Amino acid sequence: MSRTHITCTVNGEDTDFLANPGTSLLDALRDELGLTGAKEGCGTGDCGACSVLMDGKVTCACLVFAPEAQGRNLLTVEGLSSGAGISGDHLHPLQQTFLEGAALQCGVCTPGFLVAAKALLDHNPDPTESEIRYALAGNLCRCTGYDKIIRSVQEAAVQLRSAK
Amino acid sequence: MSVGQSPLRHDAAAKTDGSIEYAGDTVPAGALQAVVVFSGRAHARMLLMSTDSALAVPGVVDIITAADAPVNEYGLTMRDQPALVGVDHTGAAAVDAAVSRWEADQIAVVIAETRAAATAGAAAIEVEWEDLPLVDNIDAALAPKAPLVHPENGLDTNAYHHLRIRKGDPDFGFALAYAVIDEVYEVPHQEHAYLQPEAGTAYIDNEGRVTIEIGGQWTSEDREQVAHVLGLPEDRVRIIYKAIGGAFGGKEDMSIQIALGLAAMRLAERGEHRPIHCRWSREESIVGHHKRHRGRIRIRLGATHDGTITALEADVDLDAGAYNYTSNKVLGNAHVSVAGAYRIPHARIDSRAIYTTTVPGGAFRGFGGPQGHFAIESAVNRLAAELGIDPVEMRLRNALVDGDDGITQTVMPEGVSMREVITACSLQAELDEALPDPEPFSPIASLPSATTSLRRGRGFAAGFKNIGFSFGFPERCEAEIVLNGNPNDETPTSAELFHGGAEVGQGAHLAMRQMASDATGVSLDDVHGHFSDTATSGDPGSASASRLTFMAGNSILGAAEEAEKAWREGDRPARGFFRYTPPPTEALDPETGTGAPNFCYGYMAQCIEVTVDVDTGHIRVDRVTSTHDVGKAINPALVRGQIEGAVVQAHGYAISEDLQLADGFITNPRFSSYLIPGIGDIPLQVDSQILEFADPLGPFGARGVAEMPFITYTPALTAAVHDATGLWFNTFPLTPSRVLGGLQAAEE
Ligand code: FES
Ligand code: FES
Repeated sequence: MSRTHITCTVNGEDTDFLANPGTSLLDALRDELGLTGAKEGCGTGDCGACSVLMDGKVTCACLVFAPEAQGRNLLTVEGLSSGAGISGDHLHPLQQTFLEGAALQCGVCTPGFLVAAKALLDHNPDPTESEIRYALAGNLCRCTGYDKIIRSVQEAAVQLRSAK
Repeated sequence: MSVGQSPLRHDAAAKTDGSIEYAGDTVPAGALQAVVVFSGRAHARMLLMSTDSALAVPGVVDIITAADAPVNEYGLTMRDQPALVGVDHTGAAAVDAAVSRWEADQIAVVIAETRAAATAGAAAIEVEWEDLPLVDNIDAALAPKAPLVHPENGLDTNAYHHLRIRKGDPDFGFALAYAVIDEVYEVPHQEHAYLQPEAGTAYIDNEGRVTIEIGGQWTSEDREQVAHVLGLPEDRVRIIYKAIGGAFGGKEDMSIQIALGLAAMRLAERGEHRPIHCRWSREESIVGHHKRHRGRIRIRLGATHDGTITALEADVDLDAGAYNYTSNKVLGNAHVSVAGAYRIPHARIDSRAIYTTTVPGGAFRGFGGPQGHFAIESAVNRLAAELGIDPVEMRLRNALVDGDDGITQTVMPEGVSMREVITACSLQAELDEALPDPEPFSPIASLPSATTSLRRGRGFAAGFKNIGFSFGFPERCEAEIVLNGNPNDETPTSAELFHGGAEVGQGAHLAMRQMASDATGVSLDDVHGHFSDTATSGDPGSASASRLTFMAGNSILGAAEEAEKAWREGDRPARGFFRYTPPPTEALDPETGTGAPNFCYGYMAQCIEVTVDVDTGHIRVDRVTSTHDVGKAINPALVRGQIEGAVVQAHGYAISEDLQLADGFITNPRFSSYLIPGIGDIPLQVDSQILEFADPLGPFGARGVAEMPFITYTPALTAAVHDATGLWFNTFPLTPSRVLGGLQAAEE
């Protein structure tokens, strides 16, 4: 099978990679680009663990073919923090409130929740609790019971608003 | 002091920026990919298997079959399962290795350059089967002349494990009763649905050990089982846990460990040294690993006018599925918990684990407790209603107290707090206040909210759960602490903690570091953990049975004391190793059930408020009060996390999770049709009430909490639904269609 050459922006950087046309964007991110933050929890669009932002919209990377990323702007959890990315320099307020608010246990759902919450706060800086639930309805968590996730998103919204 | 505080988890930052590595993330460059092939037969004898065409598939490197297993049997507590089903296996095995007893019996491991090639190879394996009769539920298994699932065990029944309790004179007890209820309760399967499906990588490490990087619950036990099949001494096998994406009991048994171990060993023998990676899809995970046991419990419970329980009879039948896994142990817990935390003078209990040709039952948060408590707590609620007694008062009247004998006719371990917990929960839940009118709600955003069809109700349940392994198991936990500093330092500057205990997401490693910090006087930031690698850490026992805080804490206290001694003697670094063993427990007497099964319990009570829409059958849980005696909250934030998470998992069990089986096959192995709660489905309010009645044996007084909030949820919920609708449900999940069906049947 001939591999397709794909050019896109990932976490703010121009990127190109090769992938089989039938490869999911999730596999391409993980296997070709080494971005393993997005997880495969189901592969069928039901859990949201693979969520990334594609041109700002929450997308299940398991349901998108890699070539569909051509020319798009992608954001994965690795691109949430400012600075060089990985580990720690200047976590995004959502990352900070998730870790301070004990909104994660095993952490497999966390990357998906974070990018979905970012998409929400980007276009709705002051969401109600039910808007938060609505925006995160595509993300499953088996560990936390969700309440601390909701509180952490609320807290991040407050911080982001006051930073403006 | 760090214990009692809620410092941040040391792994949290890496979990928020995507950098932490789970077993599914760590695929070394150049790794081969493995696919585990399931039999796809519920019950059948293999006649022939050919891998010739599969080996010819481009990219396929090798195929591991039963012939590659030096010892073709395994099992956590009974070795009743072949590692790989096959006709020409040469290894020793007590079990007939040519028979598939459930759809996910493993028959081969295809190793290839890519996943796609391995999958194509798996499809090209040719197998001929002779179908054997299905035994796909407990009725079929118990029918006269039922085909035997495990004839090799020499029994003439599929009910292979039978526990009894004979206490006092039940006939006499029932004669004293003013009211008796006699009900049959059906409990369903539950899927763990940890968000990370099974994944792992195997290779030979530089000391020549077969090494498996994976996520599990008990490093040493994984190693023992892998080594047994591989025919290797245990020190030739190494298990390393990466970050673990949830477990809940579902990673206590083997999934891909043995397949990976065999593959790494055999390929290395054949000169192929590349690491081998395997990961299961969600569907493979749901089909391929055990479930919470489904079962049937008949219970008869009698009480006098004032609610004093006089007698109990119970028959607990659990569907063990194709292999034992931990069914014999789960059964033991269900057997003891079906009597509740009550004084019961006269009792007969018979509990059986039953083989069928379906998915095995095994460990899952609560470990038999949810099944037992659903029956006894439902029965108590029903009896209270029949007697016109308040359910809380009924429980207080019968609750065990310190010094009482439990149902197994031995004195309860000290620290019984059942009454205190019941009282605290009833106060917190404001049971003396009437429920407010229902708030309109609609389960579906596009529908208008219902108003006139809403009924409110409230239900209560209470119970207990053992902490640690039971029934005479040689319970233990090992820790090592190394104190660093200069020869003339008064106190150590840093400490290393070596511990095998599994961090399955609950925050155990932080709690362990907190306890090590307090035990050594070294500040938390300077306590460095080295966890879950059999090459460096001792036997931790399992991250299960709500035992890890209790057991690891005691092992850490002991190791710290040993290290202190060495420190005072001038050792730099000063090492201390400790193996903690709690007071021994006993297997129950086979005829009477007498014995001391446990050394510690945690006590809990829950009150649930619901609104039921009687037009649609939808249930909304408005408020949950979850009260727990945890002895001591080592880290209160983590304790609350356990409570909130367990409540929502129990909510799924009670309301939406409905595993479907047809002819022995799971027909909904997907999150689109097996519905775990999402963020819009959860209780509106969960009040976690943490009580701290120190356990006399617990480290810093701690008991355990992981399972307790799960256990009483379902009976409290069904009581609330009864309060709202007047209907008792003896089975669940209470899906809208079941509730509506019940309401319609009651009308007719
Ligand atoms: S992995 Fe994409 S939605 Fe679950
Ligand atoms: S923290 Fe484990 S699934 Fe959400």
